[in-house]
Amino acid sequence: MAISENPLAGLGRNAGAAILILSSLAGGEKHGYALVKDVQEFAGVHLPPGTLYQVLARLESRGLIVALDADERRRPYRLTAQGATVLAEYITAQQRVLKTGQARLKRSWSVA
Amino acid sequence: MNGDLKGARRATRLIRWYPSAWRERYGEEFADHLEQEFAVRRIDLRRSINVAYKGLAARVDDIGLSANAVNPGAQTRAALGTSFALMAIMAVLALNFWSWAMILWSARTYHPIPVDATTGILTVTTGLLLLVLGLMVLIVLVSAVRQIVRGRGRRLVTPLVFAMGSGAFLSYSVRWLPNMLARYSHMFQGGYRWTHPGPAAYGLAFIAHQVTQPWISMWDPGISGEPTSQAVMNDLAPLAVLVFAVAMSFLLRRVELPRIGERLGSVTVVLLSILSGVFLLTLVAWFTAGGPMYAAFGETGNIAGVVYLVFFALVAVLVSRSGLLTRKNEFRYARNQIEIVGSKIE
Repeated sequence: MAISENPLAGLGRNAGAAILILSSLAGGEKHGYALVKDVQEFAGVHLPPGTLYQVLARLESRGLIVALDADERRRPYRLTAQGATVLAEYITAQQRVLKTGQARLKRSWSVA
Repeated sequence: MNGDLKGARRATRLIRWYPSAWRERYGEEFADHLEQEFAVRRIDLRRSINVAYKGLAARVDDIGLSANAVNPGAQTRAALGTSFALMAIMAVLALNFWSWAMILWSARTYHPIPVDATTGILTVTTGLLLLVLGLMVLIVLVSAVRQIVRGRGRRLVTPLVFAMGSGAFLSYSVRWLPNMLARYSHMFQGGYRWTHPGPAAYGLAFIAHQVTQPWISMWDPGISGEPTSQAVMNDLAPLAVLVFAVAMSFLLRRVELPRIGERLGSVTVVLLSILSGVFLLTLVAWFTAGGPMYAAFGETGNIAGVVYLVFFALVAVLVSRSGLLTRKNEFRYARNQIEIVGSKIE
């Protein structure tokens, strides 16, 4: 996928938060506060509310997540097929980087 | 007052940082989210700053200056409204600049070719700019009135009143124009020649300058013998230009345009961005080529001239940005609609 076609490319500094949100939604639909708690649990990162909703809005407008019907005031979000593809591609690319880094550290520095 | 009520009020206050379209879509769930956060940690300055900062960013998105509008389908309208407001203010300044340039140019007997060429481009650009903006005003006002008559225009009434009110005020501030046209009618005999502007171009420039001068200068000492009411009116005219531009931008965002208007939305934003860019470049070329200049625009070290140039440059950049984003966003929006529908079918 070319960089210009990557839906995460336009997110700039929010790309990290977007990956955390997509990863959390990969485990099932969640509303905003449940998302924050889940991300805190698996990544140790606290997403501030302004950032969370900015990224949710951008992921939704890019078609990577979809908002479901609100349960009282809470609206759950679900990963779309396109969102799952983008996340999978990102993880594959990161795994390649990790493997290369680990192999080189092991070979040259005997670390990892 | 109990904690829940306090939290709800604080959440409502914080959400005011966001534009109304954003609040309509995310307000309820965001308020609920904030209230849950307040329950865990009541006061957190970093959280408040984060909400305020992201709220302002959402406002930039909302006026079509970023590719991240809450409703991507409305991005073109937002960009059109913002571009119109910026270009309307620029058009008044541009017309004033053009008229002075023409008056001074006509007064000379010899000009180097680049000055003649840039004068021609400035004339065509300013004319096209006024034509596009004039058409936009006409289409929007007619559509707004029609929508109100059909009983579907409640949200249009306030901006329409402001637009009509400021427009009427501006027209009234130049109520002497028909008399002046009659007095200078002899200037329009003789036609227009590019090699020599002739009296018609001079007359047009003279009248354009008379009209726009009170619209751009605040706290003008006025002409001796002029009634105080006219001096006050002249002082309020720049404010009326601003009110008219903003009211029209609101109308542009809310009005139901005819189908052809909807289709031409993004093309118009791109056209406005091209016109603003051409005007700015020609202006710089005019200065470089040594075009005769009025002190406020061209004198070295004159702060007004620097402000004009910076404003023109800013408008050109912002309108071009919104034009590019609109084209890009329309493509992305269409693609996402197909993918979202596909995802729901699965």
